[in-house]
Amino acid sequence: MSNSEMNISEMLAEQVQRLFSARIDRDTWVHAEDGELDSDLWQEIEAMGITLALSDENAGGAGLNWADSEPVLRLCGVHAAPVPIGETTIAAWALSRAGLEVPEGVLAISGEIFQLDAQGRLQGQDAQLSWLPVAGHVLVAALREGVTHLCLVSADAGRQQAIDTLDRLPCASMELENVIPLQTAEAPFLDELGLRPHLAALRSMQMAGALARVLDLCVEYANTRVQFDKPIGKFQAIQQMVAELASQAAAAQVAGLYAARQVDAGNASYGAAVAKSLVGRAATRAAAIAHQVFGAIGVTDEHSLHYYTRRLWQWRSEGGSEHWWSERIGRKVLAKDGAHLWQQLTAPIGA
Amino acid sequence: MTSPFSFKPLQLPSSLEPLRLEARAFLAEAAKDWSGWKVGHSWTGFDRDFSREVGKRGWIGMTWPKAYGGHERSGLERYVVVEEMLAVGAPLGAHWFGDRQSGPLLLRLGTEAQRQRFLPLIARGEASFCIGLSEPDSGSDLASLRSRATRVEGGWRLNGRKVWTTNAHLCDFMIGLFRSGGQADTEKHKGLSQFLIDMSASGIEVRPIHDLTGEAHFNEVTFDNVFVPDDMLVGREGDGWAQASGELAFERSQPDRYMSAFPLLPLTIDALREAGTDDRLASRRLGEAVAELAVLREMSLSIVGQLQDGHSPAKEAALVKDLGNLHEQRMPDLVRELLDCPSSIVAADRLSELQAFLVQNVPSFSLRGGTREILRGIIAKGLGLK
Repeated sequence: MSNSEMNISEMLAEQVQRLFSARIDRDTWVHAEDGELDSDLWQEIEAMGITLALSDENAGGAGLNWADSEPVLRLCGVHAAPVPIGETTIAAWALSRAGLEVPEGVLAISGEIFQLDAQGRLQGQDAQLSWLPVAGHVLVAALREGVTHLCLVSADAGRQQAIDTLDRLPCASMELENVIPLQTAEAPFLDELGLRPHLAALRSMQMAGALARVLDLCVEYANTRVQFDKPIGKFQAIQQMVAELASQAAAAQVAGLYAARQVDAGNASYGAAVAKSLVGRAATRAAAIAHQVFGAIGVTDEHSLHYYTRRLWQWRSEGGSEHWWSERIGRKVLAKDGAHLWQQLTAPIGA
Repeated sequence: MTSPFSFKPLQLPSSLEPLRLEARAFLAEAAKDWSGWKVGHSWTGFDRDFSREVGKRGWIGMTWPKAYGGHERSGLERYVVVEEMLAVGAPLGAHWFGDRQSGPLLLRLGTEAQRQRFLPLIARGEASFCIGLSEPDSGSDLASLRSRATRVEGGWRLNGRKVWTTNAHLCDFMIGLFRSGGQADTEKHKGLSQFLIDMSASGIEVRPIHDLTGEAHFNEVTFDNVFVPDDMLVGREGDGWAQASGELAFERSQPDRYMSAFPLLPLTIDALREAGTDDRLASRRLGEAVAELAVLREMSLSIVGQLQDGHSPAKEAALVKDLGNLHEQRMPDLVRELLDCPSSIVAADRLSELQAFLVQNVPSFSLRGGTREILRGIIAKGLGLK
């Protein structure tokens, strides 16, 4: 990473932080959970070029790599930003890498693999596609004679049915039957899992951000909530729990960045597997601790904590659950003898 | 809001690969006959011959100046050698404490004479050090130490007792923390000093403390009017507390804080493959362990990088030890879960011996180097909990 890239990365993160601080609050969340996309906010985001952070400079993007973009994607979790910035950013990145045009508006991405037949028609389904109800386009990975392709389809091209999720954000199932994509290209930079590793990496980074905020909320609450004549943060029992939460949040942050670095190095599936396995479990433990620290107020609608914990519970199962990814790592490990494990763990990023 | 943690990634350069392969080849040969029981001890295991061999290869005191028997190699080169050693459970105990703590302490704060005398010995694997911190009434609360150093003509007289001193019965020297002034009750952090103590000095009695495994790595060391000459004071009189705390921050983020049980995993993988076990539970649990290791290693490497850059990420180091200890303590139970291990100990069966040793040894992992609760207290304070 050169110094100038470092500066663009930091500048973008600062801009995004300012925008989110000013524009995202409880009302924004409530609005989004009613199924509405805040189009004013979305326009500001597009105008700032945030969703093109990862795209090539000749496609009008900032040309950042995933590791440089990690702070921005993590900020989406820190603020529980109820806008599909990450999905759109990844879709734009993949499109520009495949030499395809990036359309304006909200892009959704599917973590499933579709089939592309000889006539160039798409078939397949995704049982749970985030933001589909408000997206203009969907990017899917599809196999054609064993070769992975990227296909851009109009969001209304197939059958969709709205589904309820824990985070209550817009989500629907999508079924494509003989749909002709708007754009298609080979995508040699994707493996047999298509866009799932990238979605998993995004969710890991978002969860790391949400965990950092949950930790922050817990520290603040523990320092102000008085019981037995002192702030509960003075009690060792609370301190121990919050420290454990901090450990989980710290590991999640490292894991999310690790996934991003592995994507950059062409080893997206392994990085995503490591990150999603760890961060999914961290989210489970951390959410439980946070609700324990807050007591009953944390489960009430009026408190903001649950906006974070519901997202953590949602994201841990999207893009492949922590169990799904763990199993995949385990199967790969068991495919070789024990001595290979250490070689794998010490292999350079990308290997 | 920016992150409350600093974990800038550190990527090991590929130029370290030849060194890694050299260490790996040496260890593959050396480890051929190690029993599972021996492998379990790893960095507390005492094997002077092995340490001499490691010293010959230039892998002790790797970063120290050549003038003191060191090799002027980078901290990252040292990291590679250390993690390769731990991956096979090499017996590092005869040189580990000197390499990791005592040597660096002398380099930083020792007198020129102390450096010239001790560092080359450590680097050759000839001199073993133990660390005299804990006392019968002072474990986590080190500031309450009572063992006393009293000024006498030409030096000091030491009186008191140290406990939990690993390998004190085998070591040549101790670096011990004693109260050289002030009162334990009123000036807890003041008046503590570190001394370099020759373990063969008269007045020292070492008694073994047998542990769960039936062995005695720990000792109780009694000091009865032990004379230490003036030139064996380390650093400044009264600064011992700050000096010892500095060492701990470094110690907490090293690979030994999450790799103590690592050698179990390759054996478990081979056993699962041999048994033809192809179930989702085994894959998932194994995958979880591997993901944890990958992330712990990233965290540990990051701290090495930060220390090299002159930062002192104490909160982050405490986090790594807490997470690392949780991970390594879970490993023997993972093996029970996946392989239905019996509690019998089958001699010459590496997995069985290592498993048995670790089941009985893991409770100490979250005690040594700072108990989990103390570490979490440090983390909580670092986060601003009041």
